[in-house]
Amino acid sequence: MLGKREVPALSNLNLTVNAGEFIAIMGPSGSGKTTLLNVIGCIDKPTNGQVLLDGIDVGRMPESQLYKIRRDKMGFVFQTFNLLPYLNARENVELPMEGRIKSKNERKQKASNLLQLVGISGRENHRPQRLSAGEQQRVAIARALANNPAIILADEPTGNLDSQNKQEIIKLLANLNLNQGTTIIMVTHDSQAANHTERMLLLKDGKILKEKQGLQTLKKRKTP
Amino acid sequence: MGIVTRAIRNISRRKMRALLVIIALGFSMAIMISIPAGVFANQEAAQDLTDNLSNIISQTGATINQTLTQIECSLAPDMAGYGFSRPDISTTSPGQPGQAPDVRVFDPSQFGGGAVSGMFGGGAFAGGQANPMNESLYTDISSLAGVAAVAPILQASQGQNVTMERMGRTYTRLVPDYVIEGIPLTLEVIDNYPILPTNITAGRNLQAGDSGVVLLSENNSAFFEAGVGDSITILDQTFTVIGIHGTSSVSDLTTLYMNLSDAQAVTNNTGFITSLKVFAESSSLVTQISNEISSLHPELTVSTAQQRLDQLTSLQTMYNTTLENAEASLGQTQALAIQEILVVISATSLIVLFVMLYTVRERTKEIGTLKAIGFSNTTVMSQFMLEGVLLSLMAGVVGIAIGVIAAPTLSSLLLPSVNLFGTTSGGGFFANPQPLSATAAVNPQLILLAFGASLLLGALGSLYPSWRAAKIRPAEAMKYE
Repeated sequence: MLGKREVPALSNLNLTVNAGEFIAIMGPSGSGKTTLLNVIGCIDKPTNGQVLLDGIDVGRMPESQLYKIRRDKMGFVFQTFNLLPYLNARENVELPMEGRIKSKNERKQKASNLLQLVGISGRENHRPQRLSAGEQQRVAIARALANNPAIILADEPTGNLDSQNKQEIIKLLANLNLNQGTTIIMVTHDSQAANHTERMLLLKDGKILKEKQGLQTLKKRKTP
Repeated sequence: MGIVTRAIRNISRRKMRALLVIIALGFSMAIMISIPAGVFANQEAAQDLTDNLSNIISQTGATINQTLTQIECSLAPDMAGYGFSRPDISTTSPGQPGQAPDVRVFDPSQFGGGAVSGMFGGGAFAGGQANPMNESLYTDISSLAGVAAVAPILQASQGQNVTMERMGRTYTRLVPDYVIEGIPLTLEVIDNYPILPTNITAGRNLQAGDSGVVLLSENNSAFFEAGVGDSITILDQTFTVIGIHGTSSVSDLTTLYMNLSDAQAVTNNTGFITSLKVFAESSSLVTQISNEISSLHPELTVSTAQQRLDQLTSLQTMYNTTLENAEASLGQTQALAIQEILVVISATSLIVLFVMLYTVRERTKEIGTLKAIGFSNTTVMSQFMLEGVLLSLMAGVVGIAIGVIAAPTLSSLLLPSVNLFGTTSGGGFFANPQPLSATAAVNPQLILLAFGASLLLGALGSLYPSWRAAKIRPAEAMKYE
């Protein structure tokens, strides 16, 4: 909505994402990138059309079912990390597991393993304010992986990072995609970061303007 | 990390804010429990008073029934009976036989005023005390036709002199600690007529021929810190406690009993008494004897069962008025208490409501994140409800602590004092109407009530903010900065 005028954020958009793909969504501000990501991630609903996840239209599902899809199948990574400041790194990673894993110890163990996977195993008892921006984003990625999601949705994950951290985070996501087969849909302004994906989509006025292949495709071809 | 730990950590994130909110809520809770504490205290005090009044009435009724043949004789109370300084009044010597009985004007240093020595003793109604009269009167009245027995009695109060001002004049008044009552301990009198207390709670009653012993009331026992077998000193003379009496139809809670001659000796009133209990041979002779005594000794105040019955009726009327006043006054207090409690409940709920609304607004982005990573609406709502309830429970503990210490002050500030006597401010039977002594105290039931109220108001106040938090759309919440 813009004032009293309704402006469609997305229109005539048809996108199919295959399992295990790494996609970058690019485009100018207001092109509908984040809206598209939110609709795919079931945190926003389309006014028209369908959002099919494994053949089921999640766009029409009630909130009482959607939260389970978000918890079990999705993992979110945000530009501003969105870590809870009163919890330490490990506790932040444990959060999404609360509804799924009953054992406290199991949650704790899994969170520690994930923090090790993203390369900050020594910092698990630190609260976000005592971590660097790169470390915070790693914690956020570990949290996104907490329930072994099928899809990771990353909204400008490198937007608040310096160039070195940018590269490391992109590498981390690319490796997750390559090694674990996690589908990653990433919104970014950064063409360098987008180059590491398999497919780049350019959005304008809520429509896909262009599609392009990225470096990850070549990597996958090389990998037996 | 459980939901409770998260709630506690969230509360402790903003320590100063949490502290201020807890103190504000704590005061509300303290007021909430202090008001009922005050109301209960007033109710209990009023109940005690009405019980006492009804006891007095039933005891008086019993006394009248027991003493239908009894005539009370005493001198009209003098102003000196109040213990006012009357330097112009002097003591006269005992009279000679055949003359009008000599009157020894009351000596404040020995008797003091304010002694309510019994329903019908001289001066009992006005807070004064009978003037001592010559013991020889006993012989005159004993010889009257139809008189079965005469018991001469001496009463004297002992206590502290209190100075007070009335109508620009300064008076000294004696507030009695105890009343000495001397009784003739002869078999003929004590075996046949109701002049001794009947409710003996420890030791034994006085017996014929007893001397150097006292029968204490329970109040006396506490005052002297003495029990049966102990020795106590009364006006520099030592007496042995022979027994303890409770309330009975003829006893008073501040009266100690001893042999008449002991009482006369110890109070330096040898040869003097303060009243005579005259027992007629039958109730039909009471009026005739009473008239005879009055005509022979016009200076005496003579009262009979009929007069006492009249007094009982007026006592009952006053009792009913007092009861009505108490009920009306308590009713007003309770109505005000309910209004005040409603205001406090609203204020408490509003404090929780606004604090939690602010918290939800402040943490909108966090709510969005929680929902994005898979938290259900129910979990989000529970999280905020729990925070509100925890905050309120902490305030409940603070409120109970404040209430336990400050309930008397808070209730006296917030509730009007209960007026049980209406316009009756003195005189009459209640020579010294005591102000209603109602001290508010927080009891275990009120502590439980405070916890319940904390829980309920915390839940009530955070219900809407939590519902709002749960309904926030995650996509919108993410944009919130």
